[in-house]
Amino acid sequence: MALTRLNRIVQLSHTVSLTRPLHGSGCGLQLGAATQTEAPMESPRAVFRTSESEPASHGEQHIGQFYTIPPSQVKTIFPHGLPYRFQQQIKTFNEACLMVRKPALELIGYLKKADPTHPSVRYVLYGERGTGKSLSLCQALHHCSLQDWLILHVPDAHLWVKNCKELMASSYHRARFDQPIEASVWLKNFRVTNERFLKQIKTSQKYVWSKREFTDEGRPLGEIVDQGVTRVKNASDAVGVVLKELKAQARPGSYRLVVGVDGVNALWGRTTLRKEDRSLIDPSELTLVHNLRKMMKNDWCGGAVIATVTQTGSVFTPSSAYLPQELLGKEGFDFLDPFLPVLVPAYSEKEFESSYQYYRDRRWIQHHTGHTEEGKKELLFLSNRNPAALERLCAFL
Amino acid sequence: MASTVPNPDSLGSNPGRHLAHIAKVLRLRQLSAMVLARLVCTSSTLQRKNIAAAGPEKYTQEFIKKQIEEFNIGKRHLANMMGEDPETFTQEGIDRAIAYLFPSGLFEKRARPVMKHPDEIFPKQRAVQWGEDGRPFHFLFYTGKQSYYSLMHCLRFIQLLERILALPYCSMEEEYIQRFRRALEVQSKKQKIEPLQYDENEVAFSTGEGRRKTATATTIVRDNGSGNITVNGVDYLHYFPVLQDREQLMFPFQFLDRLGKHDMECKVTGGGRSAQAGAIRLATARALLSFVTENEVESMRQAGLLTPDPRVKERQKPGQEGARRKFTWNKR
Repeated sequence: MALTRLNRIVQLSHTVSLTRPLHGSGCGLQLGAATQTEAPMESPRAVFRTSESEPASHGEQHIGQFYTIPPSQVKTIFPHGLPYRFQQQIKTFNEACLMVRKPALELIGYLKKADPTHPSVRYVLYGERGTGKSLSLCQALHHCSLQDWLILHVPDAHLWVKNCKELMASSYHRARFDQPIEASVWLKNFRVTNERFLKQIKTSQKYVWSKREFTDEGRPLGEIVDQGVTRVKNASDAVGVVLKELKAQARPGSYRLVVGVDGVNALWGRTTLRKEDRSLIDPSELTLVHNLRKMMKNDWCGGAVIATVTQTGSVFTPSSAYLPQELLGKEGFDFLDPFLPVLVPAYSEKEFESSYQYYRDRRWIQHHTGHTEEGKKELLFLSNRNPAALERLCAFL
Repeated sequence: MASTVPNPDSLGSNPGRHLAHIAKVLRLRQLSAMVLARLVCTSSTLQRKNIAAAGPEKYTQEFIKKQIEEFNIGKRHLANMMGEDPETFTQEGIDRAIAYLFPSGLFEKRARPVMKHPDEIFPKQRAVQWGEDGRPFHFLFYTGKQSYYSLMHCLRFIQLLERILALPYCSMEEEYIQRFRRALEVQSKKQKIEPLQYDENEVAFSTGEGRRKTATATTIVRDNGSGNITVNGVDYLHYFPVLQDREQLMFPFQFLDRLGKHDMECKVTGGGRSAQAGAIRLATARALLSFVTENEVESMRQAGLLTPDPRVKERQKPGQEGARRKFTWNKR
């Protein structure tokens, strides 16, 4: 209750400061009161925010607190990586705040301790719908990029197996199919994230794109990416080349590579795409999927593979499935077999409290009942501590 | 006195005679209006030819008394036949006996054979208001509302009565005054509240059942919980993805201010999404009755948490497309 009173006083003081002062002395007093109340207002804010913006320095004591990602980093690291709703939230609140949670901390801990000489470890984040798997992945990738790793982020593998408008037969391999649009879009975003590395890494062999276009050996990888972006027809093959080169050159001495795939169960599930004779396409017949699967193998060292399995975008899976076994199917599970599963649970009490305070602080909860204790209990019940459900609930409050 | 009851002689020997007697006493509701005695108070010379204009049937006092005697004798006969004690034979016993002796396949319960006290069957009639000479007994008869005006004429009625009740020594007139008071039954006393049950870990729990529109739900509400709710083994967030259904689940707890304090397991079958939510809500409210004080029970009842929703799907009628929708009207 004290918090609501303080809130109201601060709001009043804000309105007072905005309006023109009619009586100087009276206004001065009120402003003075405002500054006095500002100071105690800071401490509730500090409870759920932390000033550490490096995921590497987060520890157990930061669980439940929000940390801000500077906008410049958001643009470079996550041009396409963040979930749509989170992007809208960033635009609304004018800041990108992520909550520090246990699964992400665990993952970052493992990444720190991993030995670059061993084959890359595969981590699989799983959990029920809306518990925060994609954002945990983004948090881990943020950490990796600050540690100067090369980031290969596939924001949603499900986008590659459904709703493809243009599907062309691959020039490289007779039986496979290309997806030029998705491949070129991905290459563009990849270029934004890893500008630095693209100049450093050199190709190891000559690639012939068509009768007149080819890329020599020893050219920077950036050229291949540009080739894929400009010549959309060869985009999927360009993607394949990029992946192959990165994998081959990811040795302990050079850069460290992290592959982040959201919705990895799309690679082994079913597609909604059909060939011209109306027969379904298997995922392995798509170039992009085929190349990405090769990346997911653990026959290279000096990096890590972080994947999430989601039911949210997947096709032909029941909505109650959330375990890796159910979502990946036998084939996928065997492929990924020695992997480290990380469960992402719903919010705990403390995390829920923190999230609620954050929304209140950002003035997202406008309804007067939302500010009371009963309102909070209602939100707790109705969302059952599920982050996505809470976010959708508060969206219209 | 004419009677449309079957002729007893046609029915034969001893048990038959008893049965016949019963049958004679039975009044079937299906009897048409063309029955029995005429009113004797009007002059006997008038023979009404137009029966419909006679108005509702009028029975004399003697007729009613005779019916009551016959009913009592018939009741004793019936008790004898069924092997029960005639002294302690209640109306329920009579109903059971009749249902046994005259089984009927009719669906309408009111059309089945019935044996009740004549006071319940024959409509009550006002005693005749005027004497042989046509002069009314009450001096205010011609106002139309004689009892009302007589009371008003005597006193400024209700205020004075209440003041009388407040005075000491009111017991003298209390009986007279209470005749005009009707007791309002406290509705909530009609609710049956199950006592709390305790399971192995000394945790109190209570069960409830509810129905809404072909969905039935049974719930078990446990104390000392943290707000976990399971429906048919699945978490309620997954079973009811729609916000509206979860709000329905929340309502009983929120009303009693017990949001995070109970755990609940429910089983629900039938109906659709909304019907299942409504059924669970009713079942939860009934289960929570055992945890709650009487005043809260009353407030729950007034909030409508304990009322089963009687709305069901309306039947489709012949000649129409649905329950209300008619076929498209064509001019030709």
